[in-house]
Amino acid sequence: MVALGCAAALSCLGGCATSPREAGAEGGTATQAENGDRAKPVIDPQADELMRRMCDYLAQAQTFSVTAEVWQDVQLDSGQQVQAGRTVDLQVRRPNRFHAEVHSTRHSRGLYYDGTSITLLDRVHNLYGTVPAPATLDDALDVASERFGITLPLEDIIVSDPYQSGMGKVTSGILLGPVTVLGVACEHLAFSLGTVDWQLWIEQGARPVPRKIVITYKDEEGTPEYAAILSNWDFQTTLPDNLFTFEPPAGTLMINVAEIKSENQARKNGVK
Amino acid sequence: MKHANTTFIKSFGFSLLVLLAALPVSYADRGQHAGRGEHTSRGGKATRVQSLRAPSLRAPAQRGSALVNRSIHGTIRHVDTHAFARPLSVGRDAYVQQRVITHHDVEVDVNRSRYWHGFVFGARHHALRSGYVRILVNNSPYFYDDGIYYQQTGDYYQEVYPPLGANIVQLPDGAVEVFSGNIPYYYAAGAFYMQQNGGFIITSPPMGVTVTELPPGALQVSIGAGMAYQFNGIHYRPVFANGVTQYMTFMP
Repeated sequence: MVALGCAAALSCLGGCATSPREAGAEGGTATQAENGDRAKPVIDPQADELMRRMCDYLAQAQTFSVTAEVWQDVQLDSGQQVQAGRTVDLQVRRPNRFHAEVHSTRHSRGLYYDGTSITLLDRVHNLYGTVPAPATLDDALDVASERFGITLPLEDIIVSDPYQSGMGKVTSGILLGPVTVLGVACEHLAFSLGTVDWQLWIEQGARPVPRKIVITYKDEEGTPEYAAILSNWDFQTTLPDNLFTFEPPAGTLMINVAEIKSENQARKNGVK
Repeated sequence: MKHANTTFIKSFGFSLLVLLAALPVSYADRGQHAGRGEHTSRGGKATRVQSLRAPSLRAPAQRGSALVNRSIHGTIRHVDTHAFARPLSVGRDAYVQQRVITHHDVEVDVNRSRYWHGFVFGARHHALRSGYVRILVNNSPYFYDDGIYYQQTGDYYQEVYPPLGANIVQLPDGAVEVFSGNIPYYYAAGAFYMQQNGGFIITSPPMGVTVTELPPGALQVSIGAGMAYQFNGIHYRPVFANGVTQYMTFMP
């Protein structure tokens, strides 16, 4: 009987160490991988809950400002990988106002969205260009990216529903636990979209804002990373209309904004 | 009693089978995650998290799926909007296979200094640096060195515009692949090259293609009410492409 009990206990250790929920998750993943579909993402409920909390917090914020330091891997011609940096100062007023200033050593750009148009300002060359835009921030983001190739900085946190926008493509997610980012206690989350990995560090406590974002492109040579460290979150300061309305500075020239949709589609032929 | 023994043996046998079946699973799981577990100091939570980890997360990239390029990074919402197939084999040199830049992330700001960035039309030199090659273009002799063309005038070597029809073995450092329709060109130092017979030949510039930087020494000119740049008879109009200033060839 002792042997039986021992066997039963051991069998439970071996076979039952994973809870039914976890077992289902592992099984689901295997099936998912074999089938090659994205039907059932495998997401740690705690990671999902934290993600939802952050996204809800951002979605409910009517206005906010944040500064990001962005570091991005880039390959030199020799194949050596180096990092390039820039800063982003971002202001958002929901549902249809956006302004960003992007600065690096050799570049300085402003991006404005006022509910009717998107304007790009190249401060180095004194050039600007304007395109009409839809009336909501989400639609404006999509038109900007898909039609004009303009990806507004940190767009994943400024959409009206960051959870739906970001998590729709996620195939797995885990919670890696507490980590400090620039002295701020955060929870470290890691998601995967298959060929792209996505990590977030979310501030602990009553204000669950992202403090760091890393995207790893595993389907690109050298698996380059994009990293943004976010600071100076401000949900209190009033953001007036003129912050989002573009007025051409003296001496600037207007140029066209090239539509890249057709070019992209042509190049995508035979890609996927 | 006999019935009890039989039941016991059956139960024991069943348990043994379950045990034998379960142990490899347990071991496999331990083996798969042991390395990562060592980095985690939070025992219970880490174990549970690891068990949720999908074992095939890295599989797509490791299976050798086609590599892609992206003109934009930093977005999940539009992660695939600007992803394109990466050319399988593009080389500056048919023998050395040095790489050609096949895309730029438009946001990246890295100082990429090229030899040909120092091009000054008409500049004269007493001597050329080692490594130059002599070429003939339409029966005229030229000297070529990494994107810069020279012609001898008296005792000097004078920098001249890239001559149409020049045929070189190796593209200039930092040549960028640009497409006109489905036709690939390689752009550097104000010249558009096409791959031909194992080398690269300067061709007439395709109109309507955008390049990320102007040729060195391009002159600003007024075209109607607008502004443009001119270099070696080729006109470039500044446009915002992919959200940053680039330059589109056009016929005024």
